[in-house]
Amino acid sequence: MCDTIINIVNIVGKEVVRTVIGLVGVFIVVLGNAIMLTWTERKVAGHIQRRIGPKEVGPFGLLQSFADSVKLLGKELLTPANVEKPLYFLAPTLIFVPVLVTFVVIPFDGFLQVKDINTGILVILAFSSLTVLSILIGGWGSDNKYSLIGAVRSVAQNIAYEIPLLLALLPVILMANSFSLRDIAEAQRGAWFVVYQPIAFLIFFVASVAETNRTPFDLPEAESELVAGFHTEYSGMRFSLFFLAEYTNMFIVSAIAVTFFLGGYQGPILPGVVWFFIKTYLLVFVLLWFRWTFPRVRFDQLLNFSWKILIPVSFLNLLVTGGILKL
Amino acid sequence: MTMTNRVIEEFKAEFKSVDITEAPYEKQGYHLSIEARTGNLLNIIDFLDKREFYIVDLFCVDYQDYLELVYFFNTHRELCRIKVTLKLDPVKPVAPTISNIYTIARWYEREVHEFFGVYFEGHPNLTYLFLHEEIGHYPLRKQHVPVPDGDKKLLNSFRPHEEENSFFINLGPQHPSTHGVLRVVLKMDGEYLISAEPVLGYLHRMHEKMAENKSYMQFLPNPARMDYPGALLFNLAYVEAVEKLCGIEVPERAKYIRTITCELNRIASHLLWLGAFPADLGALTPFMYAFDDRENILDILEDVTGSRLTYCYFRFGGLYNDINEETFIDATKRFIERMRERLVMYDKLITGNVIFINRVKNIGILEQGQAKKYGFSGPVIRSTGIPFDMRKVEPYAAYGSIDFEIPTGHIGDNMDRYMVRMKEIEISLNIIEEGIKRLPSGPFKTEKVPKKLKPPKGDIYNAVESTRGETGVYIVSDESDTPYRMRWRVPSYSNLMTFPHLSRGVLIADAIATLGSYDIVVPEIDR
Repeated sequence: MCDTIINIVNIVGKEVVRTVIGLVGVFIVVLGNAIMLTWTERKVAGHIQRRIGPKEVGPFGLLQSFADSVKLLGKELLTPANVEKPLYFLAPTLIFVPVLVTFVVIPFDGFLQVKDINTGILVILAFSSLTVLSILIGGWGSDNKYSLIGAVRSVAQNIAYEIPLLLALLPVILMANSFSLRDIAEAQRGAWFVVYQPIAFLIFFVASVAETNRTPFDLPEAESELVAGFHTEYSGMRFSLFFLAEYTNMFIVSAIAVTFFLGGYQGPILPGVVWFFIKTYLLVFVLLWFRWTFPRVRFDQLLNFSWKILIPVSFLNLLVTGGILKL
Repeated sequence: MTMTNRVIEEFKAEFKSVDITEAPYEKQGYHLSIEARTGNLLNIIDFLDKREFYIVDLFCVDYQDYLELVYFFNTHRELCRIKVTLKLDPVKPVAPTISNIYTIARWYEREVHEFFGVYFEGHPNLTYLFLHEEIGHYPLRKQHVPVPDGDKKLLNSFRPHEEENSFFINLGPQHPSTHGVLRVVLKMDGEYLISAEPVLGYLHRMHEKMAENKSYMQFLPNPARMDYPGALLFNLAYVEAVEKLCGIEVPERAKYIRTITCELNRIASHLLWLGAFPADLGALTPFMYAFDDRENILDILEDVTGSRLTYCYFRFGGLYNDINEETFIDATKRFIERMRERLVMYDKLITGNVIFINRVKNIGILEQGQAKKYGFSGPVIRSTGIPFDMRKVEPYAAYGSIDFEIPTGHIGDNMDRYMVRMKEIEISLNIIEEGIKRLPSGPFKTEKVPKKLKPPKGDIYNAVESTRGETGVYIVSDESDTPYRMRWRVPSYSNLMTFPHLSRGVLIADAIATLGSYDIVVPEIDR
C-alpha cells in the first residue's frame, strides 16, 4: 500500500500530489467553514437579539446546518419560465470558482499553504472580481426586475470598492516588498502591519464589507427594497450555492486582513494554524456584529463614501507610506 | 366668538339661500350641517377651503328615494365639525368632483363611485379603488343596481403602459416592506421613482356592509379586525359612537380603565412600528427588541381582555370585566419602569446611529400646507408641527382630566415622524401612570344597557385618536337593531395618499423609508 503511494508520488511528482491534497483540504475547509459560519451567524444573531438561536439539532444546535443542507438538497429546483437558461444555470456554479481559487494562496501556517505563488495577492484580487460577474449574469439571466437592479447595484458597488481595497493593500506590499502572502506574513514577525498602517486596515475592512455584500452595504440583496436582490429567482441548492459563496467570501476577506495586517499565522505558544483561525474568526465575528447592528446605507451614500472618502484617503496613505519608505 | 359662530356668520353673509343649521353636538358629534345643491356645492367647498378646513371624510348614504353624499369638514386649529350633504337622484347620480380642491377626495370619490355608482364630473381617474373588476353591482346600495355595460372599462384598476427610459415594478402585494398586502406600482428610471400609484383592495372585507347586517352588539369584534395593532382604539371609537347615539352613561372607572388600556395598546402598536421601520432600513435587530417589549403589554392586556391581538374589551356602557387591582396595576407599573429604561437603549441603538440619521433626515418632507389637502392625521401631521390630536381637540374617555403634552416635529421628514412616535411612547407612559394614580373605584359598567340596542333615529360621528391618527365612525340609525349605514374614517388611508406625492423623483430606498415611516396598516385602509 505504502509502496504504491510512494510510486505514484514519484511518477506524478511531489508538487502535483501536494496540490491535489491541498485542493481536497481546501474543499473541506470551504464546506466546513460555510457550515460552521451559518451556525455561528444564527447563534450570534440570536444572542444579539436576545434569543437563543438554534438549539434543537445536535448539541447546541451544531448540526442545524447539516439538517438545513439536507433540506435544501431535497428541495425542488424551480426554474422560472422566461429565464436565460445558460446564464441562469451558470451563475451559481461560477460564483464558486473564485472562492476556491483564492484559497490556494492563503497561508494557514508557515508550511500549510496549497501553493505559494509570488504574485499571490494579485491572484486573489483578480479572481475575486469574477464574483461580481456571476452575480451580474445571475441577475441578468433571471428575467426579474428586482434581480436586475440588484445585479447592476452589485457591479457599481464592486467597482467602487475594489479600488480602495487594492489601494489599502499596496502600502503593506511596499513595506513587505513582496506580493507573496507568505512573505507578507513572515515580514510581520516583529510587529503587525496594523500598527504601522491602521488607516489602511480600516479602509480595507470597510471595503471588504462592501465586497462581500454584507450589511450595512448589502444593497445587491437589500431585502426590504429588492425582495432578495440578484438571487430572488433562485431556489433550493442553487440558492444555497450563493449562500455558501457569501460565507466563504467572508472568510476569505477576513483571512486576507489577518495575513496583511494582523500578523497572519504568527502568535505565541499555540501553533500558527490555530492563531490564524482565531484571528480570522474574530474578524468574521465583527462582520456578523455589523450585520445585526447597523441599518443599510443608501446607494448614493455608498458610492459617495467610496469615491469621495475611501479612495482619496487611501491614496494619501499610499503616498505617505511610499515617501517614508523612500527616505 | 367661537369658531362655530364665526363660520355661521360668514356663511350667512356669503350664501343667502343656503340653510346652515346648528346640530346638537353632544348627540351627533358635529356642530353644523349644510344642505348643498349640485349648483352651489363647489362654492361652499371653496368657502370652507379658504377658511382652512380640511376634509375629514366623504362618503355616501343610500336612503332609497335619494342618495346622500356626506362631506365632513373640520379645522386643525379648533374643533368645528361641519357636515355638508348633497342629495342625488338614485337613478343617475352625478355630482361635481372636489378633487381639484382636496386631493384626498380623489380616492374618496373613487370609493363612492364603486360602492354606490355615483359619477363625479371632472374626476381625473374614476376607476375602482378596492373592488375586483368582476363585481357586477354596487354593493352598498340598498337595492340591486347592476353596473352598466359601458362602465366595464372603468373597472380595470391599473394597467401600466411601458414607455422608453422607464420601467414598472410591482412593489407588492407580496413584498417584505409593504407591511401586509399593499401593492404600489412604481414607475422607475433606474433607481429613481418617476411616480408611484398605490393599488388597494387586496384586504378588502367590506366591514361597512357587514355592519348593515349585524346588530350593534354583533359588530363589536369587527373594528379590531380593521386595525389589528391598535385594536382597542378602534373598539373604543365604535363603542363610544353607539353610547352617544343611545345616550348611555359610562361610569368614571370604566372611562379610566379605557384610557389606560388604550394607551397600553398605543405603545404596543408604536413598538410594532419601531420594529418594522428600522427593518425597512435594513436593521433587523430592533425588531426583536421591540417585540420583546411588546410582549409585556400583550401579557398585561391578555390578563384583562382575554385576547392578545384583536381585543374586544369595551362594551356599551362600560367594560367586559373589571381589572384585577393587584396583578394588572403591578404588572403595568413594572412595565412602565422597564419601558423607560428601554427607551434610553433605543435612543442609543437607533436614534444616534449615523447611518440611520443619514437615511431618514430630510427625506420625505411633508409641509403644513398639505395637511388640508390630504387630511392626514396622527403622528404624520404632528411631525409637520401642527399639534393636532383628537385626545386634546375633542377629549373622550378620561383624557379630559389627564394633562399631557403633544409632541410635534419641525419639518415633517422621516426623522420627525420617528421622533414624534418615540416621544408618544414616553407620553403614553405618563398618561398610564397618571391614570392609575387617579383610578376611581365604583362600578365598571352600567347595568341598564339592554341586550338589544335600538337607538333613536339619527346619525352620529365620533372620532378618537388611534395610533395612526383620527379614526372616526359615522353611524346612521333607523330605529332598528342594525345600523342603517356605518362608515369608517381611517387615518392610514389619508396618510398613504401622500405617498404618491412624496415619492416623485426619489430613490427607491428613500421611498421605502417614507412608506415605513407612515406606519400604515393595510387592513385598516381596505376595511
